[in-house]
Amino acid sequence: MATSTKERLTNRLFTSRGEPGSIHPALYALVGMLLAVVLIPFVYLVIRAFEKPVPEIIDLLLRSKTLEVLLTTSVLLAVVVAVNIVLGTLISAGLHFVQLPKTHLLIVAAVLPLAIPSYVFTYTWLALFPSLSGTLAAAFVLVLTTLPYMLLAILVSLRRIDNGFIEVARTLGLSRVQIFFRVILPQIRGSISAGALLAGLYVLSDFGAVSLLNVETLTVSIQNMFKSSYDRSAASVISLLLILASILFIAADEKIKDKNAKENVFKRLATSDSRIQSFRLKSIVLISVGVYALLAVVVPFYVLISRFISNPNPIDISGLFTASISTISVSALGALIALLFSAPLGFLIAAHAGRFSKVSERIILIGHALPGVVVGLALVSLGSKLGPIYQSVFLLAFAYALLFLAKAVASMTFSLQLVPQVLKEVAATLGKSKTKVSTSVVFPIALPSIGLGTLLVFLTAMKELPATLMLRPTGMDTLATQIWSYASINRFNDAAPYALLLVLIAAVPTFLLSLPSREVSTETNKNDSQVGSLT
Amino acid sequence: MVLVASLLAGCSSSNEQATDPTEITVYSGRSEEFIAPFFAQWEQSSGITLNIRYGDSAELAAQILEEGSNSPADLFLSQDAGSLGAVAKAELFIPLPNDVAANIPAEFVAANRNWVGVTGRARVFAYNPDLLKVLPTSVTDLTNAQYKGELGIAPSNASFQAFVTALINAQGTDFAQKWLEGLKANDVRIYAKNSAIVEAIDKKEISIGLVNHYYVWEVSEGLGREINAKLGFFKAGDLGNMINVSGAGVLASSKKYAAAQDLINFLTSQKIQNEFVSKTHEYSLIKDAMAPATLPALAEIGAPTVDLNALKDIQKTQDLLVKVGLL
Amino acid sequence: MTSLDVSHLTVNFGDRTVIDDLSFNLKEGEIASLLGPSGCGKTTLLRAIAGLLQPREGTIRFGSQLVGVSTVVLPPHKRRTGYVPQQGALFPHLNVAKNIAFGLDKKELSTQEINATVSEMLSLIGMSGYENQMPTELSGGQQTRVALARALAVKPRMVLLDEPFSALDAELRNELRSEVVALLRKQGTTAILVTHDREEALVSSDKVVLMRDGKIAQYGTPEEVYESPVSPSVAVSTGDALILEAEQSDNGSTRYAISSLESESKSAIASNGYVVIRPEEISVSKNSSLGVAGTLIQLDYYGHDAMLVIKLENGSEIIRARVAGPMDFEVGDIVKVEHRGPIRFFSNQ
Repeated sequence: MATSTKERLTNRLFTSRGEPGSIHPALYALVGMLLAVVLIPFVYLVIRAFEKPVPEIIDLLLRSKTLEVLLTTSVLLAVVVAVNIVLGTLISAGLHFVQLPKTHLLIVAAVLPLAIPSYVFTYTWLALFPSLSGTLAAAFVLVLTTLPYMLLAILVSLRRIDNGFIEVARTLGLSRVQIFFRVILPQIRGSISAGALLAGLYVLSDFGAVSLLNVETLTVSIQNMFKSSYDRSAASVISLLLILASILFIAADEKIKDKNAKENVFKRLATSDSRIQSFRLKSIVLISVGVYALLAVVVPFYVLISRFISNPNPIDISGLFTASISTISVSALGALIALLFSAPLGFLIAAHAGRFSKVSERIILIGHALPGVVVGLALVSLGSKLGPIYQSVFLLAFAYALLFLAKAVASMTFSLQLVPQVLKEVAATLGKSKTKVSTSVVFPIALPSIGLGTLLVFLTAMKELPATLMLRPTGMDTLATQIWSYASINRFNDAAPYALLLVLIAAVPTFLLSLPSREVSTETNKNDSQVGSLT
Repeated sequence: MVLVASLLAGCSSSNEQATDPTEITVYSGRSEEFIAPFFAQWEQSSGITLNIRYGDSAELAAQILEEGSNSPADLFLSQDAGSLGAVAKAELFIPLPNDVAANIPAEFVAANRNWVGVTGRARVFAYNPDLLKVLPTSVTDLTNAQYKGELGIAPSNASFQAFVTALINAQGTDFAQKWLEGLKANDVRIYAKNSAIVEAIDKKEISIGLVNHYYVWEVSEGLGREINAKLGFFKAGDLGNMINVSGAGVLASSKKYAAAQDLINFLTSQKIQNEFVSKTHEYSLIKDAMAPATLPALAEIGAPTVDLNALKDIQKTQDLLVKVGLL
Repeated sequence: MTSLDVSHLTVNFGDRTVIDDLSFNLKEGEIASLLGPSGCGKTTLLRAIAGLLQPREGTIRFGSQLVGVSTVVLPPHKRRTGYVPQQGALFPHLNVAKNIAFGLDKKELSTQEINATVSEMLSLIGMSGYENQMPTELSGGQQTRVALARALAVKPRMVLLDEPFSALDAELRNELRSEVVALLRKQGTTAILVTHDREEALVSSDKVVLMRDGKIAQYGTPEEVYESPVSPSVAVSTGDALILEAEQSDNGSTRYAISSLESESKSAIASNGYVVIRPEEISVSKNSSLGVAGTLIQLDYYGHDAMLVIKLENGSEIIRARVAGPMDFEVGDIVKVEHRGPIRFFSNQ
């Protein structure tokens, strides 16, 4: 019996692998609304860009300056991503497989740089080497800033590797190097790619480091255009170019990711006696992590603290306090809004990973590359027409949610993927409709991981600068805006306490984020059989 | 001009003015550290609270342009004329009556009185007296061999770009291009900020640099010690002596003109202008006002005549700098 | 409990046909095993019955209720089946009691009723007192039991088990399996058990459904499929089998390596083919005058019996024989081999 065309069409859009059961249309509507909201900055860009006649747009895109900027951006991107992939893979593998003293502390140290915004990094390194500038310097700073993303992504994935494969390979006589390349690498390929994606999109959207180091990337060019000629149209055209670059980058990652990796629920995890004991490897890992921590944690702290101490002016305690409270509260609000926004899509994916949800996910991913200045202006444009909402805490939090929604969604889909399909099926046979399966099984299991994603948004929002400057309520300062305010008049000593406080506060969510990578299962065989790792 | 003013006033006749405002909103491109005390003084005397939004002048201008007539700002205080010009071009300012900021000379006021200058910022050269024995008399001297590798500039800085724009306006693009190329061939050193140039002079990395006049003071304040750098002016009329201004304008969409204009009057009053000189080391724009310590009076600098209104389009300057390879 | 009727079921994954026009039925209270090699479609069939996938064609009925007609299917949460997947799949965030109570409707039943059911189930599986344990604290066998309890708690119309014992070691497996089967029989549950283990299929079920390449190769009681397989491959699926080349002549006699007995065949046609012999149907002796001679080349001693591998004198046939009781054979012995059992001849044509 052939299915009618209409049946087939609805099937293609809303089902996958022939799974029966329907989803409440309200959910699709919610996701649709979410997409509309996410597209606000893009609509703004398109409107502004096309205020120019098309021939002028083409001229702008093709002039040599644009191509130069594209080239600079691409080179920077390539260098940072390549270094990250190599260093990130080697260091994470070392941290995971080699028996080290106090591994958990090492991991925390390696991830801690996430708490430091790229502009603070740059300021501190410039304080030591004032003549620091150029693409290589920017690459150096950006690698320092983004390596934790790689480490986190890969460590989480390494932890889930079935040690059984490795044990078999060893008994088959493969050397460690061979095992690494033939057994381990294929399994972590997806997470290397994910980490590289995060790092790359960070590079594309970064402004702080590159502008201070005189490297004109796309974001710097956009900012310059806004500031120099107030030609918002030209700046919007270049912003669209930036977004195109990000789309290409994301597409490349999609190809590499192994989306059909099935989670083997029954597996052996690495235990402490399966770790490598080689002294040489231990030293290598310890030294690498040590050097990285030195460059990325010790140096910035040293500079900040010495500036702080040598500050002859009295410290404005109340200013520090209010700025901290503002930072924490707006960032937290932004993270919550991001969570709320990503929830409908999460529900949809959990219930039914069909074509619609995949497309929605991809559209949201593009948001990763939006520079803060673009979202800021888009919301200035829209918000100023909306009366009291403009320059309110709510709008700023909303801007954070928009800026970092991609992170929230990516983490949500990852968390939901962690839930084995078989659990959802069992729940269904026990009488739960798709919605109930999501609420009673999927979300409770995914919750810790979703929490971490929200923490990541919180952390990133605390460091945000350009959109904050534009959208904050007049008179409200965050730690980031205060740092900028002092640094722009060269009062680095006065900026130091704010920078220090920001890093210390941000260290808390950073520490929490490092936790899952630290835990290594110490479950050995229970009684007579292997216990499946369902957690 | 009265016609224009009344036309503009007519356009915004629907703009009802608040009778007794308790607060006004200021977008300030001047940094909090320097301007806040002045604002505080006015708040005290007027009884009106100020909501001050601090930011970069150009970014604030861009924000105002984006906000358009919905901008919550009543007053825009900018660090340079270019940003003011951009807002004026978009017709977002309301012209100031003749009795407001009356003591600012016409050369520091926009056409149509859309905005007025508040303080003067002179372009100068800073130099290390131990290293530099022969002082240049014109910016064109700087392409000479004796300054090879010794000169520092900050091409990404708005003040330098304003200067180059003035150069282009006065002498033409070709002249400006030749000069810039000459600098490049002379191994000019590039810095991101004016303060960096002054610090470099103090450290003897270079012996001379093109900066705004107050930077020597600012850097020395920031470092907490005397520095080994002095200021010099070029010969009278040389474009190197250009005077730029920080200024203010009232937004046409504001419902509190009167209060905003009062603030401008305050900032341009003799007393406050003198305070600018003594506290922030800038020039007062009032005729015959005293100069900042150790510097010649404004009238004696030998500044060239520059139409500040024409400084707003920096794009062509930036394009030229890029073409020459300095940006 | 209910009966099951599957009619002309076809399931495709993309353009691959996994189940091909399959029909079978099960009476109320019967236990059936789906037996077959990997990839034969047995798990797919189970999932189709559970409602976890959509068939291309065919109907599925539970009793008189149609749960699936071609592509229109009743979703799984409305079918009231008890699904016990391969790894037990307990919900890791819930303790044992909450796992078991998961399918119970909190709106219809009071807390007391729910607790009572949970206790009842726990005692049924012999795990009273485990209410507050978390799944990671349980052994594999315990997890399987709790998964079964969870499935039974909702009083399902039928229980669907997907190789629930495969991850356990042999001893536990047998024990647990007989407990589970006893439990199912006691409750009169209609059940389908997917397994690749031949013995498990034979010992647990009322009906054995042999699957191969998405079709049913044979369907019948354990005795039927063991003693009377419809083909050599079915024979191999249900137990150790010895397959020897054979010739049948038109007078009914069959010739093959270890026998030349006459057999009565109603409609014998001269043909070549195979006979299928079960190892326990071969008797081995050292001193008999009857039978074919050979040398014992291998002896696999299982304790309760032994598998002897004998190389025949004439020709190179290898015979496997199962011998019970105390051993008095040694490798290298010359023995006599006789076939004592039915002649199952399968023609090549």
